[in-house]
Amino acid sequence: MRISTKSLTLCFFAAILLPVALFSIVSAQELSITDEQIARIRSSCVSAKNTLNQLHASDALLRVNRGQLYESMSTKLMTRFNSRADSNRFDVKDLTTVAQSYGTALTAFRDDYKSYEVQLATALNLSCLKEPVSFYDAVAAARTNRAQVYADVVKLHQYINDYKAAFDVFATNFNKTNRGNK
Amino acid sequence: MDEHSEVTDMHLSFWDKHRFLLLIAITITIALFLVGISMALYASSGAAQLDLSRPGYRAVSGQAVNDDRDFENYASFGQLDKAALDEFNSLYNKQALKAKAVSAFSGDPLNPDVLEISSPITAE
Repeated sequence: MRISTKSLTLCFFAAILLPVALFSIVSAQELSITDEQIARIRSSCVSAKNTLNQLHASDALLRVNRGQLYESMSTKLMTRFNSRADSNRFDVKDLTTVAQSYGTALTAFRDDYKSYEVQLATALNLSCLKEPVSFYDAVAAARTNRAQVYADVVKLHQYINDYKAAFDVFATNFNKTNRGNK
Repeated sequence: MDEHSEVTDMHLSFWDKHRFLLLIAITITIALFLVGISMALYASSGAAQLDLSRPGYRAVSGQAVNDDRDFENYASFGQLDKAALDEFNSLYNKQALKAKAVSAFSGDPLNPDVLEISSPITAE
């Protein structure tokens, strides 16, 4: 199959122009806050701020309590088991890989929560009466950051399952080897 | 005697005369500088996000788990036999269940529709 120079040039321009067009559409959507919406933001200002304040506090509590649990899964169980199995000269490559991925996901969770909290605090510090558009944008950015934190939590749960699966394989191999030795 | 003290007084510079004030000013400057560094570290390290004693968090600070003594440490040394594997399995299952029990940060409470800040047409 031969690709002509014309179609290659066409693909090249499409690759450049498509992201630009998409970006323009997204930017236009961000800017399209109507006067009615600004009026709505102003009228819901007090209730929105109250909701944000409550969310700010409840999410902080969630971060402290869940974060502690996620941290302990790594430091009190995964790392310790890997170390013990390794010192007994077992192959812990799979377990270590999952534990490392879990550690990376935990770091991402910490960083993403920090970004989210900073963004939410920014939104809370803005006056929705005086700066309704900035307030709306700040809330939208905080929403995106919160979705990222949730994605990190899902990843952590997945790695918890993965470690369990790796442990089960390890235990099966261990039992086989032990039976063989007897 | 009076003449002598007058002469000595005349030779003192401005800073010699206000040494005590200078000491206080330098002390305050150093203290402010150190507080600035501490605050920068507090904000950049992520400690601020975990500090529930901050204003605005008082209502929930009592609900924070202060000690996790019920989360047992698995021994990182010792022989690895079937009993040790069973012990780990039981500890891990217990804590994994707890960790996955809450789907933290799910939902969409910052949705403009929920906050009633979306455009009236979208909200309808």
